[in-house]
Amino acid sequence: MPAPPRIAPQKSALIVHPDVGVLSQLQGELTKNGVTAILARDLPSALLAINQHYFEFALVNAKISEEGDGWSLAGILRLVFPKIFMTMIAPQTDVLTLRSAINSGVDEVLESSATPASIAKTLIQREAPSSGTRVQ
Amino acid sequence: MARKNSLLIVDDEVNVTRTLQMVFEQQGYRVFPAYSCAEALTLLQNGHAVDAVITDLNMEQADIGLEVARVAKGLASKPVVVICTGFADVNNARQALLLHVDYLANKPVDLGELTGALRRLIELRAVNRKGRN
Repeated sequence: MPAPPRIAPQKSALIVHPDVGVLSQLQGELTKNGVTAILARDLPSALLAINQHYFEFALVNAKISEEGDGWSLAGILRLVFPKIFMTMIAPQTDVLTLRSAINSGVDEVLESSATPASIAKTLIQREAPSSGTRVQ
Repeated sequence: MARKNSLLIVDDEVNVTRTLQMVFEQQGYRVFPAYSCAEALTLLQNGHAVDAVITDLNMEQADIGLEVARVAKGLASKPVVVICTGFADVNNARQALLLHVDYLANKPVDLGELTGALRRLIELRAVNRKGRN
């Protein structure tokens, strides 16, 4: 009897952004590439999702409800999912932003001006999350 | 008796290295000082396993501390890597991010922040190594 075809498990991404339009565009781009996207517009929804799912990827906006609260969420995500590939969307990539990224366990920082398609591409290109080497 | 966590401190400023050594020894760490990148690399490459490495960035050359971070990150023991610098810029911070450095502290160092972060990162490393059984 032939072995049943192997179906690769679909990868999941958590997307946290206050703008529904951006969330929708990112979900569309990720879904096209075979990634299941779980969306959250605020911190409580994000925490609920973290409690109920396993994520290979996360995409978090630096500002969710208040300036900089995305960084705290990133720190939590790194603690819960040590091997997650985490991208932060920030207004700019200056030294302070990069320092926050390192100290919160973020793998990549993209500027807010990046298009949803290019953001999704950055995530998809990370077939094997490389963050296993990061302690946080 | 509980095993002491070990720490490699790399800084070409002797006063900084000795101060950090004193602080971390008081906190129960076993500290190995190195006063240059070359000295640190010799220690790391000779199988000197440590739980964490704290390195300055500018020593023999500008940003040479990134080499210490790169070598430490390549070790099987996967020590926690902290860069401690007064000269962070977009280029070296971006490189540190790509190397998956665990913490970037600004000089002058806030000792409370640094000791707290290091303790958290070392505990997390131990948990991740053991797995959640």
